[in-house]
Amino acid sequence: MVIRIKYSKTEEGRFLSHLDLMRTMERAFRRAGLPLAFSEGFNPHPKVSFASALAVGVTSEGEYLDVELQEEISIEEIKERLGEALPSGLVVLGIKEVRERKKSLTALINIARYNIRVPLEDSVKDEEIFEAIEQLRQASEIYVTRSGKRGTRQVDIKQGIFRIEGKIADSNLELRADLQTGSEGNVKPAEVLAALDRQGRIFSGKQPRIHRVGLFIIERGEVMTPMEC
Amino acid sequence: MESIEHILENEILPKVTKPLRYVGNEHNSIKKNWEEVKLRFLFAFPDLYEVGMSHLGLRILYHLVNEKSEYLMERVFAPWTDLEAILRQENIPLFSLESWRPLTDFDCIGFTLQYEMSYTNILNMLELGKIPLKTGGRDETYPLIIAGGPCAGNPEPLAEFIDVFVIGEGEEVILEMLDVIARHHEVFGKNREKNKLLETLASLEGLYVPSFHQTTHKDKRIVKRVVKDLDESYFPLKPIVPYMEIVHDRIMLELFRGCTRGCRFCQAGMIYRPVRERSGDVLREQARQLVKNTGYNEISLTSLSTSDYSGIAELTKSLLDVYEKQKIGLSLPSLRVDSFSVDLAQQVQRVRKTGLTFAPEAGTQRLRDVINKNVTEENLLEVAEAAFCAGWTHIKLYFMIGLPTETMEDIEGIAELAYKVLRRGIEINREKKRGKQPRITVSVSSFVPKAHTPFQWEAQDPMELLMEKQQYLKKRLKDKRISYNYHEAKLSFLEAVFARGGRELSDVLLAAWKEGCEFDSWTEHFRFDKWLKAFAKAGVDPMKIANKPGDIDTVLPWEHIDYGVSKRYLWEEREKAYGMKTTSDCRYEKCWDCGVCSGLDVKLSIKNEKGGRECGNQN
Repeated sequence: MVIRIKYSKTEEGRFLSHLDLMRTMERAFRRAGLPLAFSEGFNPHPKVSFASALAVGVTSEGEYLDVELQEEISIEEIKERLGEALPSGLVVLGIKEVRERKKSLTALINIARYNIRVPLEDSVKDEEIFEAIEQLRQASEIYVTRSGKRGTRQVDIKQGIFRIEGKIADSNLELRADLQTGSEGNVKPAEVLAALDRQGRIFSGKQPRIHRVGLFIIERGEVMTPMEC
Repeated sequence: MESIEHILENEILPKVTKPLRYVGNEHNSIKKNWEEVKLRFLFAFPDLYEVGMSHLGLRILYHLVNEKSEYLMERVFAPWTDLEAILRQENIPLFSLESWRPLTDFDCIGFTLQYEMSYTNILNMLELGKIPLKTGGRDETYPLIIAGGPCAGNPEPLAEFIDVFVIGEGEEVILEMLDVIARHHEVFGKNREKNKLLETLASLEGLYVPSFHQTTHKDKRIVKRVVKDLDESYFPLKPIVPYMEIVHDRIMLELFRGCTRGCRFCQAGMIYRPVRERSGDVLREQARQLVKNTGYNEISLTSLSTSDYSGIAELTKSLLDVYEKQKIGLSLPSLRVDSFSVDLAQQVQRVRKTGLTFAPEAGTQRLRDVINKNVTEENLLEVAEAAFCAGWTHIKLYFMIGLPTETMEDIEGIAELAYKVLRRGIEINREKKRGKQPRITVSVSSFVPKAHTPFQWEAQDPMELLMEKQQYLKKRLKDKRISYNYHEAKLSFLEAVFARGGRELSDVLLAAWKEGCEFDSWTEHFRFDKWLKAFAKAGVDPMKIANKPGDIDTVLPWEHIDYGVSKRYLWEEREKAYGMKTTSDCRYEKCWDCGVCSGLDVKLSIKNEKGGRECGNQN
């Protein structure tokens, strides 16, 4: 059977890299005594697929993974055993059986919703900030620099910013953003922040806090979570 | 005002590489209430988290102490240079992983001494913890600074920085030591009468207080502590499971302590005597619990020479039978050069493919007899053949250069041996009609004379000669199927200086650290020029320490430290080396009376098949 797990990455777990997360999940599954299914080959690994990698330092309350088990086992039991086996940085929020899996999780999801809190420069005026957000909304293209294996390149992220709203509270800008994620493309919150403050006049330079609210699927105008499809 | 914790978590850790090195909270880590314990002990590993967390000694001591309700133990590792720079800039003291408290909040700090080139990190960590470096500069209000581990075999280079050294196996003495300290606090109050406390500690077996050695305790010998029965000794069954990848990221099942193969350069083979095995049933039960409590997918069967475990075939088979279904693999980190070891390795492949490494150590039979490495060329070629036949295409070989009596003929022997193994591989691949070329890795380290070994009196080759030998091999091993790597000779030279030198090195260490030396065993940080400056400043000639031989009458800096192996035995072994006479393993043949069993009231303990044997028995 294949089960889909919704989990959160808490304050304590936010420094886990994607690789750390994969290792930690496998070990938790093993501690929970789940009958894992394995790949063939010289170095067998459990059949686990993740929806989307989360950057180091980012917390989340809406992460997903699919894991294949060799035997049927009740969802209630998995929930209980896994809850005990996970370290404090990761918490199970929900589990369901996936009966028909047409697409991988990465291929299914396309929106990541973030809450971002960025400390502001003392001198910056509210209007300047709202103007910067508005400019971002109106722009026809937004180029950011991405570095990869073959050096750096310029990428237009405009089409990947679905929605962006901001308000100011206690000298912080609180942003809510829906950004593209999944196999079609990914926009990182840090890229949006860089595009918002190209001159470095708005943000104080202190570390932003980024929280992923969830991952969603938009299909023919309808928004769903991976637990609903 | 923001708390330091808040600043660390929100501003500092997001900026450094691998913040998980500093945050703790791992599965099975232990956070205790500080108000409910009598003593707070900090285990300090003078290297990065991923190195320190791979150390079995840390796992054992951490859980042993934390299982006692009256004590707590937390951890601290050397911060990488990026975090160090921020801590200095922001004036934040180095902190423990569990409670994020500064070093000065603890009652005792225990450093483990795994390799000489971590010593500058000890000074750096003390300073980052705002603790005066020298014992004389620390009054009662500072934590007691303790150190133990294999390099405590020659404690003198650190004598001016450390209050108490632990000689021998830490789990035998740590609780006794904590009881003494706790009682002292009860009687005299916290942070009072440090000298009295040191006096009491010095009276415990296995504890060495260096500040007394040159005055009141001149003739005192410090005899190591030793676990008598491994089945009865403490072993953690719920070890910490790190979030981030560490160097040895697997279950460590400790099959036995000690090794009596008797390689004459090997310190571990002398200081961890006698061989004490854990029985198969105890190991199987420990494996079961460790699998359940950690979730690791690999079990490493650790020891100094795993194929020498008396029940190894049976143990391997029984573990595989249980864990193969769950895809939990076994690994054998140290294999003897014989075809039995290849059979074992082949068994283990049932789950995961692993590499094969063998250590002939020297290139000619003559030199292998000198070092008492009882391996023949025939053994090695047989092993290579068995391995290639079984499907391995890559074999790693370890050698050492600069060994006593070595000539260029022995160096050439390394190259010849490598080519013989390679040719055997080519032949077999041709016979089996495999398209793939065999690959050989030749790793060469340089001999470092170590305290408490038969070669403790030997001079290390001058650096230039070591480099010449390294270059000779580089030219000889220019086949694209052979990869050749060797250790930095300058680093081996410094290792020899600190392995053999005395108290005069405290000033050198201090000067080197002041020059900015840290993480010396990390190539990118190693600065030999700074070290040379430090020697000059302290007026110490390093060559006189590393490159000068001693003889039986030489008073060695570690003369007062006693691991049970007698000086007479070590010298006899040295004489036999020069006579090219080998010494057999006392597990299989006669006892050579090294002095451990009779002197320390322990015995060789073989748990499978044969049962324990008495020492001093000449049959």
